[in-house]
Amino acid sequence: MPREQRLETGSAWIELSTTADDWKAASPQLLGTMLAELHLIRAFEEAVLELAGEGLVHGPAHSSIGQEGGAVGSIVGLRSTDAVNGSHRGHHQFLAKALTHVTGGAIDPAAAVSPKIQRVLQRTLAEILGLAQGYCHGRGGSMHLQWFEAGALGTNAIVGGGVPMGAGNAWAQKHSGTSDLTISYFGDGASQIGSVLETMNLAAAWKLPFCFFIENNLYAVSTRVEEITADPRLSVRGQGFGIPSWRVDGMDPLAVHLATEQAAERMRSGEGPAVIEVEVYRFFHQNGPYPGSAFGYRDKEEEAHWRSRDPLDRVAREMIALGLIDEAGVASVRSQAQDAMTAATAELLEDDPDDAGKRRIRPELWPDPGFVDVGMRGDASELGSLTTLEPTQHEGPWRSVKFVDAVAGVMDRRMACDDRIVVFGEDVHHLNGGTNGATKGLAKYGENRLVGTPISENAFSGIGGGMALDGRFRPVVEFMYPDFMWVAADQVFNQIGKARHMFGGDNPVPFVLRTKVAMGAGYGSQHLMDPAGIFATSPGWRIVAPSTAADYVGLMNAALALQDPVLVIEHIDLYGIADKVPEGDLDYVIPPGSAAIRRAGSEVTVISYLSMVNHCLEAIEATDVDAELIDLRWLDRASIDWDTITASVRKTNAVLIVEQGARGSSYGGWLADEIQRRLFDWLDQPVERVSGTEASPSISRVLERAAIARTEEVVAGLEKVRAAMGQRGASEATGYVLGASEATGGVY
Amino acid sequence: MATVVRMPEVLANTGEAVIQTWLVSVGQEIAIGDPLAEIETEKAVVEYVSEVDGIVGRLIAEPGSTIAVGEPIAVVLAPGETDADIDTAAHNGVAVSPTPEPELAAVGAAEPASAANGRRLFATPLVRKLARERGIELESVNGTGPGGRIVRRDLERLPVAEPTPTPQPLRTAAAVESHRQATGFTDVPLTPMRKAIARRLTESKTTVPHFYVTAHCRVDELLELRRNVNAAAALKVSLNDFIVKAVAGALIEVPDANAIWNGDSIRRYEGADIAVAVAVDGGLLTPVLRDVHTASLSAIATQTSDLARRARDGRLQQHELEGGSFSVSNLGMFGVTEFSAILNPPQSGILAVGGAVQRPVVVDGELTVATVMTVTLSADHRVIDGAVAATWMAAFVRRIEHPLTVLI
Repeated sequence: MPREQRLETGSAWIELSTTADDWKAASPQLLGTMLAELHLIRAFEEAVLELAGEGLVHGPAHSSIGQEGGAVGSIVGLRSTDAVNGSHRGHHQFLAKALTHVTGGAIDPAAAVSPKIQRVLQRTLAEILGLAQGYCHGRGGSMHLQWFEAGALGTNAIVGGGVPMGAGNAWAQKHSGTSDLTISYFGDGASQIGSVLETMNLAAAWKLPFCFFIENNLYAVSTRVEEITADPRLSVRGQGFGIPSWRVDGMDPLAVHLATEQAAERMRSGEGPAVIEVEVYRFFHQNGPYPGSAFGYRDKEEEAHWRSRDPLDRVAREMIALGLIDEAGVASVRSQAQDAMTAATAELLEDDPDDAGKRRIRPELWPDPGFVDVGMRGDASELGSLTTLEPTQHEGPWRSVKFVDAVAGVMDRRMACDDRIVVFGEDVHHLNGGTNGATKGLAKYGENRLVGTPISENAFSGIGGGMALDGRFRPVVEFMYPDFMWVAADQVFNQIGKARHMFGGDNPVPFVLRTKVAMGAGYGSQHLMDPAGIFATSPGWRIVAPSTAADYVGLMNAALALQDPVLVIEHIDLYGIADKVPEGDLDYVIPPGSAAIRRAGSEVTVISYLSMVNHCLEAIEATDVDAELIDLRWLDRASIDWDTITASVRKTNAVLIVEQGARGSSYGGWLADEIQRRLFDWLDQPVERVSGTEASPSISRVLERAAIARTEEVVAGLEKVRAAMGQRGASEATGYVLGASEATGGVY
Repeated sequence: MATVVRMPEVLANTGEAVIQTWLVSVGQEIAIGDPLAEIETEKAVVEYVSEVDGIVGRLIAEPGSTIAVGEPIAVVLAPGETDADIDTAAHNGVAVSPTPEPELAAVGAAEPASAANGRRLFATPLVRKLARERGIELESVNGTGPGGRIVRRDLERLPVAEPTPTPQPLRTAAAVESHRQATGFTDVPLTPMRKAIARRLTESKTTVPHFYVTAHCRVDELLELRRNVNAAAALKVSLNDFIVKAVAGALIEVPDANAIWNGDSIRRYEGADIAVAVAVDGGLLTPVLRDVHTASLSAIATQTSDLARRARDGRLQQHELEGGSFSVSNLGMFGVTEFSAILNPPQSGILAVGGAVQRPVVVDGELTVATVMTVTLSADHRVIDGAVAATWMAAFVRRIEHPLTVLI
């Protein structure tokens, strides 16, 4: 019989409910403000559903009717510098935050609608309808509602997608020395998804002032929570991560408020995160104005039961019992809220002249279609005040340095000059500079600036994204191998890559992502991709790929200065190269749109980047083709140097795009497509390409070599280009010509 | 089955050859290795042997005629075949003997790789653009890129003149050179006047046998006379007006020179209508002065200035541009001392007049200075022989150097 000892998590897990005394003790101002906010939100949501019923809401309308208590109770006591973000069903949290912000948390039910409040209601409705006056210029709509001024970080359409970014905001709040906190709202449907769970671990490990607020409304679309998890008390998750958790009746706004106050005390003191689970109920179906029972996954009795627990009625009842308001007063709040929505709607809609009895959106309120691609990224004007240097023209002294030491060296220099820079990655803080020495010497900045992460690419890149959106810090995140981008794909592409554009085009996202191509290291099929091709599909990302140490310095400096997400690609083959950088200067930038011509030539334009630049030089030497070699440096569509490429192709009339990795995720496809359209009349042969083979390289040394491109493959590419030039025997013809003129000086 | 024998490429890079002599006759039985014909190229005469056994069915090529490489020259029948089979074979063009590869020669390859008979033309986008700009017909260009694609180098190495297969290495050098230092250019569209000038003067220069007679005239007295005349005249008379009058006088004095080639006869004129060359915007016009031999100097001056003005304004009438047996072209005002002009068809003479300049001359054995004007007569040798031209020139010079005779 083995000995058993029960182990305890040591983390509190409490179910909190209010007593009559709590209601008595609650400040009348608090209750009145909650009543007003609840009614404003309810009236707003009813107006949205009405418009949705008229077909005027483009896309889904995820109603929060029935769930207002959880939002109002938790937000009414927050500061403007506290932050919230929410899910696709996030109108109530957004409005609660916005209303609390503009009123300082105090609303008199008798005069519930001030002009500021009216403005919030109208702008929020406008954003949901996709109109230019909305908070995100009409781009975000219901699911991407953002108003930084109020601390509303942005609702998110990816289930759980906003949670890592919320934690990033909390990281920034903590490390700025404030006692502010961030609450991320999500539902029972999101409580199982990786990004939430990864973030719970990180938030607890790093003691972030971050609240995981679970709105358990029992259904994810039509699926009941009992069907999809073993313990439907979702706050149990806190136990697994060492996070104290509260479980509350979400239809009791005061209970929610009290639980939030307790959790906030912990978070503001630096103790770490909290989990709050509220039981709520959405009175309508997932989306639209019909009850869920109409779709058959729940019955009317259940709905009626929950309606009897309507948080608006609860607060009103308690307040009446306490003599703080009467029935007329409650009715008045209701009608004030409805009138406000009528007024807001009237500003945005008009009678449809083509359809009697119907309404339509006022045509002049739509955003200009020309706005469609504005603000995908910044305009790089932030580089304007910085000194540029073209290393090929540097005439001063050079300092010998190994490439990888330049990597660490420039980061060291930047971290010394700019306290905002924080480096994240697996093992970056140990091994004297991480797995390759790229972060050597940075440990002196301490564990709050050189942060070793657990293996959670999705969460820690999302945290970096949240930090970048906050703006007080400039995160540098490392993916140890490029293929790990797939683990973090939602945060990298769906969140960070889209954040600026999706929320209206105004928010900078100063995020640097470093990774190293490892082809040739034998790490096999899941470790050896070149990330350039995939990142080039995401317009929010800029991409640099330095082939020399001096270029690395200039490009990394530019990446750190830019207000856009920048991918910095390194290569293990380059790390050990004995290279050089300009003596005494680690501050210069190489701005976007400045490719380098490594070799001038007349017969073919060879375009390449990273380690393949050297392979191209070797191949050109070996084949004797008079090739012009362009080292792109900047690879993304916005930053690529079309001037240099165009001038070269007009001269040579032939193009060879060279890269190392597998063809499927290769970079050259979009570039070849652009070239053939821009420069069609200048092409004397098809745009040729050198790349790896089809499959991802595998571990066997011979097979790996066969799968990737190096010098020999470039040689073959150049030979193919030469063959397509026609007129074989050009050099013989030249000799013939010279012979004739030397011999006779005339024609024979 | 019948074999079509084709002209072989006996000499590399030649596109054609001549059957000098047939060594077999129709109906003769031949075996592989038997001599068929002597084939002559510009460098050598080669004995061409048969590559098949059979009976000579037809000799297609005429001895002495030039045949392009690859074209059928004979048909050899298999035993038992008839004349009908000859026609079938020749018609189908079944090739057994070696057809020439499209040679990747420097210039002027024999067979255009992309024939114009409805087949698809493969040319790079760059080539198509350059062909459009330069007015090159791609059907006649040999493509040496993959699959016979016409590439940029194929255009660069196009022969500048007709595509005869003569190696022209210096032209290749020029083509290569121009590739290396491509300069900018603009293509100016041709005006009707430019087209006409081009056509007429090309025709003149290439079809009419020109010869030239030059004389240096002392014009001091002429210039003095002109000064005196202009002192008295209302409309100023120019030096050219005197010259035109002198030309007319010389033509009347030497009627053999006052004639034109008329195809099957020579047309002699009785009077002297002289055309004067007038430079206009974008070209030149040659309006005709009528009856110069009887007109006074001032009448000539008036007529000339009127015609010139209307020529520059583009208001000449067609009949004013026609006729005359002779033209005068004066480039003296541009600083030209001497030049020779191209005949204006159908005229048989044109006098090119240079500027009057001070030159050292010898008078009675002494060196002195005189004002000298050099004139060059271009004459149509079909009509005007050397002696006639010389006589005419003497008559002209006499009038110029004794200018009072011009006034008569």
